[in-house]
Amino acid sequence: MIAPPDRVLTRVDAAMRTARAIADKGIGTMLALLMGVAVLNVLWQVFTRFMLSDPSSFTEEAARYLLVWISVLGAGYAVGGGMHLAIDLLPSAVAGRRGAVVIMLLIDGCVVLFALAVLVIGGMKLVATTISQGETSPALGIRVGYVYIALPLAGAIMIFYAFLDALERLTSRGGDHKGGTDPPH
Amino acid sequence: MSTFHVLILVIVFVALLGLGVPIAFCIALSTLAAMILALGVEGAMTTMAQIIANTDSFVLLAIPFFILAGQIMNRGGIARRIIDFAKAIVGPLPGGLAFVNIVSAMLFGALSGSAVAAASAIGGVMSPHMDREGYERGYSAAVNITSSTTGLIIPPSNILIVYALVAEVSVGGLFVAGYVPGVIVGLSLMCVAGLIARQRRYPTTPRVPLRQTVRRFFAALPSLGLIVVVIGGIVGGVFTATEAAAVAVLYALVLALLYRELRFTHLPRILLDSATTTAVVMLLVATSMCMSWMLALERIPTEISEALLGLSENPVIVLILINLILLLVGVFMDITPAVLIFAPIFLPITDSLGIDRTHFGIVMILNLCIGLCTPPVGSVLFVGCGVGRVSITKVIRPMAPLYAAMIVALLLVTYVPGFSLWLPRLFGYSE
Repeated sequence: MIAPPDRVLTRVDAAMRTARAIADKGIGTMLALLMGVAVLNVLWQVFTRFMLSDPSSFTEEAARYLLVWISVLGAGYAVGGGMHLAIDLLPSAVAGRRGAVVIMLLIDGCVVLFALAVLVIGGMKLVATTISQGETSPALGIRVGYVYIALPLAGAIMIFYAFLDALERLTSRGGDHKGGTDPPH
Repeated sequence: MSTFHVLILVIVFVALLGLGVPIAFCIALSTLAAMILALGVEGAMTTMAQIIANTDSFVLLAIPFFILAGQIMNRGGIARRIIDFAKAIVGPLPGGLAFVNIVSAMLFGALSGSAVAAASAIGGVMSPHMDREGYERGYSAAVNITSSTTGLIIPPSNILIVYALVAEVSVGGLFVAGYVPGVIVGLSLMCVAGLIARQRRYPTTPRVPLRQTVRRFFAALPSLGLIVVVIGGIVGGVFTATEAAAVAVLYALVLALLYRELRFTHLPRILLDSATTTAVVMLLVATSMCMSWMLALERIPTEISEALLGLSENPVIVLILINLILLLVGVFMDITPAVLIFAPIFLPITDSLGIDRTHFGIVMILNLCIGLCTPPVGSVLFVGCGVGRVSITKVIRPMAPLYAAMIVALLLVTYVPGFSLWLPRLFGYSE
């Protein structure tokens, strides 16, 4: 591996940090909004049943779709934050930085493999078939296929973060960069 | 053929887990490998995407709401009021602050659906306090960790919702079933803590005058009122579990704002934190559903059921075997995938032996709670060590007698179905 000059590394480093900050902000805001809407949605269901004694027809369906979006987008976001539960005995036990980096890269690879095969490719196929079958949701009247776009989107987010993590591990050498190999929290 | 697919699944799972791949991804990739062998590449990818997209049940939405309510309570000064109240009641007893920690964890568990929330909320306040009174740090953390798991047995509880979904039993019935067993775990832990306190001469807290006790009760009352709203609402048929959880969010929020410990500007952060916590749990749920589907395709539940019943048809012995298997599973697996993968495997067995599904659910959760307090996979252990500022190795030894207490509680709950079924019967949930 030929080490690129420091100046280039610093610029790459800065670009990666900006990209991560923008993604964190965008996806984070969206997740907080979805979560708030989910709560208000179910409270509205309770309110309409008791106060207006005219139960809302769309809330249950909306709640289920919101759950899908929160779950998969959040799973993507959690890859960026290193928040998925793992047994990290091996990466922390391996002597030497190089060995640890190789293991961490393999782990990133596993994340990408799942995201690509199941969420992006499997998800796209699911979206395509559901849209072509023309299935619409009974209460909201939206095409169910559009709801499932959350899957490929979440897969893309996972791949994006896994690549950023991998790049950071490769470009930060000997711990002289503050970015380091630790996942940011 | 089928054994080969499952063998591949197990090998890939163990290899990835050892490598340090996040657990949800280990489950997903090992399932994907086995599914590719069974259904081909394209079939495997679309089937998994389909199962993941289908984990959208309305009942599961209670989970993010209870997580959110727990996070609000965590920061909203509710934990402190509960601890003050518990201190007035059990502080002067022989177990001192360890008793206070256990009772507070049980009360907090009755408010929020999560053991991790209880471990951080109660442990965060109690551990510096116990430090000052001369309690050994590892022991304080061990008490906090084990007692926090009662939060999963005492309703509301997110894991009970997950079990209700796979076992197709009523969430309300399962919720009320958890009260007595949860209190049994708490009391067993208190027995051990009392003995240890006497042996090591840990101090008790001074007796609180009656008027002060009453005042603290009224300070904690609005928080405890949440129990009436949530559980009363569900049992009384006023709300579904999901609606009750949304109401709990509103209730906790109003309380925290009234106590002036939370501002509206904190809300986006809290919403985001609970969304990501939810997503981490839900990815485990979705991937475990895939693995469970795959195991069912290979007829694994039937085969294990036949093998176990071939060994013995005596319910006492079968329950011992199931408990031993689950204890081992709990050591290596987080509680959510363990419930989703093993409940469908064991339920045909317990059904054929005439064991009530609600009773078995409580046994299963209580058993897996022990695994949450053991390395290498123990989310409550990690959080408890974090807030207690102590390393895992220092907690294991003081934890040993508390593990024993939990196992005694497990045996009691396993072999006396009445502990789990008395309340559900009282409220008309089961025969």
